[in-house]
Amino acid sequence: MLQHAILVLLLPLASAAIIALFLRRAGGAAAGLATAVAAAIAAIAIILAIHGEPFSASMEWLRLGDFSLSLGIKFDDLAALMLCIVGIVGLCVHVFSLGYMHDDPCRGRYFGGLSIFMFSMIGIVLADNLFMMFIFWELVGFSSYTLINHFHEKQSAADAAKKAFIVNRVGDFGFLLGIVACYWLNGTVNLTELGDKHVFSTMIPLLLFCGAVGKSAQLPLHVWLPDAMEGPTPVSALIHAATMVAAGIYMLCRINVLMTPDALTVIMWVGTATALYAALCAITQRDIKKVLAYSTLSQLGYMVAAFGLGSTHAEEAGAAVLAAGVGAAMFHLTTHAFFKALMFLGSGSVIHGCHHEQDIFKMGGLKAKMPLTFITFTIGVLAIIGMPFLAGFFSKDAILHLALENNHAVFAVLGFTVILTAFYMVRLWILVFLGTPRSEESAHAHEGGWSMTLPLVLLAVLSVLAGYTSLYGHLFDGVWSLIPHEEGLLIPLIGDALMLVGLTAAWVLYKPAADDALAQKSPGLFGALGALKASFDKLYDYYVAKVQQRFAMLLNFLEQVILSGLIVRGGAGLAGLFGLGARAAHVGSLHAYVYWFLAGVALLWAYAAGVF
Amino acid sequence: MNLLPWTIYLSFAGALLALVAGARSAAAARGIALVTALASWGVVLVAATGFTPAPKMVTLVDAPWIESLGIHYHLAADGISLVLLVLTGLAATAGVLFSWNIKERTGEFFAYFLTLIGGVYGVFLSADAFLFFVFYEIAIVPKYFLIANWGSTNREYGAMKLVLYSFAGSALVLAALLWIYAAGGASGFGLGELTAAAATLGRPEQLAVFALLFLGFAVLAGMFPFHTWAPTGHVAAPTAVSMLLAGVVMKLGAYGCLRVALPLVPDALAFWQPAILALAVIGIVYAGLIALVQDDFKFVIGYSSVSHMGFVLLGLGAGNVRAASGAVLQMFSHGVIAGLLFAVVGRMVYERTHTRKLADLRQLPLHKLLPFAAVVFVIAGLASMGLPGFSGFPAELAILIGAWQTSPFWALGAALGVLVAAAFTLRAIQVSFFGKDDRDPVAADAHHHYEPISVPEKAGAFLLIAASLVVGLKPDLLFDWITPALQSPAFQAVLKGGTP
Repeated sequence: MLQHAILVLLLPLASAAIIALFLRRAGGAAAGLATAVAAAIAAIAIILAIHGEPFSASMEWLRLGDFSLSLGIKFDDLAALMLCIVGIVGLCVHVFSLGYMHDDPCRGRYFGGLSIFMFSMIGIVLADNLFMMFIFWELVGFSSYTLINHFHEKQSAADAAKKAFIVNRVGDFGFLLGIVACYWLNGTVNLTELGDKHVFSTMIPLLLFCGAVGKSAQLPLHVWLPDAMEGPTPVSALIHAATMVAAGIYMLCRINVLMTPDALTVIMWVGTATALYAALCAITQRDIKKVLAYSTLSQLGYMVAAFGLGSTHAEEAGAAVLAAGVGAAMFHLTTHAFFKALMFLGSGSVIHGCHHEQDIFKMGGLKAKMPLTFITFTIGVLAIIGMPFLAGFFSKDAILHLALENNHAVFAVLGFTVILTAFYMVRLWILVFLGTPRSEESAHAHEGGWSMTLPLVLLAVLSVLAGYTSLYGHLFDGVWSLIPHEEGLLIPLIGDALMLVGLTAAWVLYKPAADDALAQKSPGLFGALGALKASFDKLYDYYVAKVQQRFAMLLNFLEQVILSGLIVRGGAGLAGLFGLGARAAHVGSLHAYVYWFLAGVALLWAYAAGVF
Repeated sequence: MNLLPWTIYLSFAGALLALVAGARSAAAARGIALVTALASWGVVLVAATGFTPAPKMVTLVDAPWIESLGIHYHLAADGISLVLLVLTGLAATAGVLFSWNIKERTGEFFAYFLTLIGGVYGVFLSADAFLFFVFYEIAIVPKYFLIANWGSTNREYGAMKLVLYSFAGSALVLAALLWIYAAGGASGFGLGELTAAAATLGRPEQLAVFALLFLGFAVLAGMFPFHTWAPTGHVAAPTAVSMLLAGVVMKLGAYGCLRVALPLVPDALAFWQPAILALAVIGIVYAGLIALVQDDFKFVIGYSSVSHMGFVLLGLGAGNVRAASGAVLQMFSHGVIAGLLFAVVGRMVYERTHTRKLADLRQLPLHKLLPFAAVVFVIAGLASMGLPGFSGFPAELAILIGAWQTSPFWALGAALGVLVAAAFTLRAIQVSFFGKDDRDPVAADAHHHYEPISVPEKAGAFLLIAASLVVGLKPDLLFDWITPALQSPAFQAVLKGGTP
């Protein structure tokens, strides 16, 4: 099995290397290779999961005296689940990309980037220690950078890629310090060894959580994710919805033993705030991908909150209580990966069909033009808003159940967010699919080829079935057994009631129209929501442009004028003046020298005579 | 191992030959330079294969030189010197490749170039402080002529500033060495003899001597606030000389700190440590922020160099084996990566576009005009940001881990520097190469046909990228040489806070 794990890690690396070296200009071959590798990854991931036995292995990478870093694999049910998600969604996105990116002149680079991403993501999943996780964490950030930057001729895409990388670096700054602190406190960063023995310190999990805040785009580092939608849509589906952004939650689950109640409280509130904030932002968006991006943020907030809720009431963080958080978070991560990837690919299909129109107010009537996309997208919408018997229903219930048990304030916020989620998703759905086409592009919309519809169907099936944990047989039992189960119908009833409120409100308010109904009926509220969305970007822009840039300019001024200019050149000037003075004394006239000589003699005499 | 002194002799002989042959044929001078650089690098690599890491310096040559003063021609090497010798060979070879297009007085250029290299090899091999000093001076002088004759922007000023700083630094070093020699009554200039002599000095004297030595060397390593020679010098210098300046000459200073300053007065580090750590970290962040707002492409790289050298000083100042090993690895890593960055900016871009202003470069679709240069610069930029897989990552990681042990506060400051590095590197990548699309009609007008990237340039780029990757993927290759060397009694006295 170890060989399988190594193979699944190295296959995409080999693919990326081959594409980078030989297939940069052979787009078709690169696409074929990367897709074949993605299929192999999915297959091996499932074989590994079915085999199921946990195992681990590692080898030393570098040694500094008594300190050593190793690269290793830790495979258990948690890793198996994540690996399967990455494999299956990865395969769907690769296949979808075959059609979606067919006419792109830089297909080679695109598929090479996807392969690097698969490699780095699988590295995070399999890593057996925090340093190795950090290495792949950075690589995943790099592949995200290159893929967002795919259309680098567009200034906005280049800016978005840079922003994503730097904001993630801010989070990684804390992550790295957390790893170093963890090493010094515990003497190891190996996940298994940490599980056996570790010191409780609130600082360490919080520093490590910074990494998750960056990668999983939680407040206040969420700003990069909406901008990252500048990347090709399949990339958004794979990286910025289903897998990479979920890596933060996966990492938290990996280090759950290190958590302390205080740390969990912070994590819980960050997740809750993100869930609410992003849902509010999603309401005013006009771009189909931006709506989905904010929805992703919101759902990631649910997962983080679920993790934090796991044991906030525990006296001492114990594995049994914590596990409830892990179970709920990973469950929602799984269902979300499928239905959100489905909706992103669906939006890709819509964008492709509408000739790259992304404004939902210019769409409409796609129900008839793109029936398959319509049906699958509808399943995705129903799954995310929590319609009974679809995947999202079960996983969201598990989270609401945890919230109700542990913290009523959080429950209230998450419950309210359920209303918002139904509201903005139904709004999107009405505007895109119902009514009549409102633009030239949408009037001529058409369904993509099989490579684009097949992944949609597969993901739609999964978006229904992924919620039934009994269907998995014994796969991932280690994770599923942790999911909290409620008794009775209280939570489903509350959840559905809330969902229906949001759904009805959207149904009443929005008709397929070219203008935003909310903006017309309640411009104040609409404006406030828009301002709320812009607030963070404004704050950061202010910091970058007005604080950091000016501070750097000031330093530059000090450097050039004071340090290089006044002190260094001034020093040189002083020496020069002295030289000028000395030169002035050398006039070349014998008379002058005789006078100097006499003056010298007089001084010597005076000195000898004791005048001084 | 015993072949190692030949690196020095070969370089000096090559310099002479290049001078003679260059008078007749530039091609001959180039060929001689390349063969010399490769041969001396080959000597190092051959010696490295037979090298067994040990906690001591292996003496290669030890002959009396000026007997009345106890000065010896004493060459020796350990794992640390070996790492830097490998770097020197690499930088020299890449430097020759990137100077392939020097047309003016080619022979003289390579004569100075190889003299500098010979001096650098000499410094890394010296076990006698006086000899060390002599080689150190030999390495400084050719820099002046190289920059003043073949340089570009403001070259006289840059050359003068650089040389004055270097001489000022070495004056401090010489003063300190003579002080120890005279006041401590040393029998010679061997590092061991000087250490014994320094131990007899009073505490205030020891502290002062250490300060002079460390400061004197740190000037050449680009320590804040004595770094301003570096960006100006880099900008003024011809490409290959920028590569050597950042690649090896700055390492002379850092190496001097490690090999001479720290062990001579082992218990002074504890006293000066707060100051060293503070200046190192301030330098990292300060230079990084300044790099963020530069408008000259080469100044961006120049300040990034200062920022990265701050990590070396931090590692040396932290005073433990992890940080010090990281510092040595960072010397290697920075030498390779900065060399690559300067090669792209100076040779591949500037000599074709004749502008280094970022505002001008962003008007050009450079990634389309010079795709190879764009790819190399992106790779070098990633390496410079400390992305895993490249040599900077294990180096900076080891330094951070070690520095955390000494002072979490300064480790935090240094980590902030990593963040700034990402910001200025990405800005440089975006503005320089990916500024504009050539579908834009204005840019299409400016669609120059640049001379394609030549074979020597490609070879040099591959060489440096490969070095950074190999060390980044398998850092133990070098750590296995470095850490045992740091177990020697001389270093242990420093790294354990003065108790031998």
